Amino acid sequence: MPTYKLYYFYGRGRAEIARLIFAAAGETYEDIRYEREEWPSHKSEMPLGQMPVLEVDGVKIPQSMTIARFLSKQFKLAGKDNLEQAKVDAVVDTSIDLAVKYVPLLMQQDESKKKEEIAKFFTDELPKHMKNFETLGKLYGDGSQFFVGNHLTFADLEVYDMLSYVVKIDDKFLQSYPWLERNRQEVEKNSKIAEYIKNRKETPF
Amino acid sequence: MSYKLHYFNVRGYAEVSRLIFAAAGQNFEDIRYERNSEEWTKHKNEMPLGQVPVLEYDGMKLPQSKAIARFLANQFHLAGKDNFEQAKVDSIVDTLYDLVAAFIPVRMEQDETKQKELAKKFFDEELPKHLKNLETLGKMYSNGGSFFVGNQLTWADLTFYNFTDLIFQSNSDCLNNYSWLQNNRAEVEKQPKIAEYLKNRPKTM
Repeated sequence: MPTYKLYYFYGRGRAEIARLIFAAAGETYEDIRYEREEWPSHKSEMPLGQMPVLEVDGVKIPQSMTIARFLSKQFKLAGKDNLEQAKVDAVVDTSIDLAVKYVPLLMQQDESKKKEEIAKFFTDELPKHMKNFETLGKLYGDGSQFFVGNHLTFADLEVYDMLSYVVKIDDKFLQSYPWLERNRQEVEKNSKIAEYIKNRKETPF
Repeated sequence: MSYKLHYFNVRGYAEVSRLIFAAAGQNFEDIRYERNSEEWTKHKNEMPLGQVPVLEYDGMKLPQSKAIARFLANQFHLAGKDNFEQAKVDSIVDTLYDLVAAFIPVRMEQDETKQKELAKKFFDEELPKHLKNLETLGKMYSNGGSFFVGNQLTWADLTFYNFTDLIFQSNSDCLNNYSWLQNNRAEVEKQPKIAEYLKNRPKTM
């Protein structure tokens, strides 16, 4: 049994998808979190001077999506064969397309500018991404409420994590997207995820 | 089982997949649309997200260039020999995509003065950071060989080769101080199936 250590900051951010996968799988790991002030002294220990990093039996792997994919394959949450895993990956890549456009808006320091930019994004840009998610879910979900093949995978967890940042701004937004709303409910119904979310501490990001 | 790859008549985001097919000696239908053509407009709606590249295989349409490439690499044993090696390969591919994401705005800038400014910043500051990261990962994961991971060709090497081809169009000297990376490119070019493909591929952007 390998030992896993996950290194990140005190926040959800780019590490949360890995934590959700560990939770869904019921697997243990060392959840190492550095304060902002102590990070500089650890930066050189990380292959790319960045986090998150996953250490597996002493070997470090950088890149948040790589970490998540590796863990999901370890714990059979990645799709049951290469074809299913490819569908899962396509959904995840579609989530990243959204993240690349949306997350920078959340980091805007000027509060009124931030509110304005996010509102514009929700009207002009976000619907396209939601439609893309629903298209893939209906294409690959085999008629189920999961994104791929009738069972929980990394795709459902990634979209769950991503849309948390949408729901936080407007908790009614998903009502226009019933398939996504039901998918989100399906993830929340998972007992291990529900337990994890219930006990998860509130963090600034 | 046959493979069809839909894309524009350029290298762009499909070329890594074409290189993977070539390295594997696998036939595929290399469908190329001219941008802004009536033909593309006709086919756009057949693509799940209205985008290309799309891979058609076993009745499935798969969007997202990275997902496609990873699927093909796994099909043809060019992805890494086990989940952990595949994670090392993925982490290098993700790092390469970070590099390309930083390069695209430089390449696409129309204003000549601004473009020169962005290019200088990219080549002086941004690129060296990524190249150093790539050498770090290569030396960590290569088991002393010339390929990025585990002493054999993987799609990490093909992705690196392809993206540096792109960057060379703007600055052909940018790898001069990175002997490990230069050697890696040379090893890829030497592979007979790759050499053959590079010689015969359509001359496009």
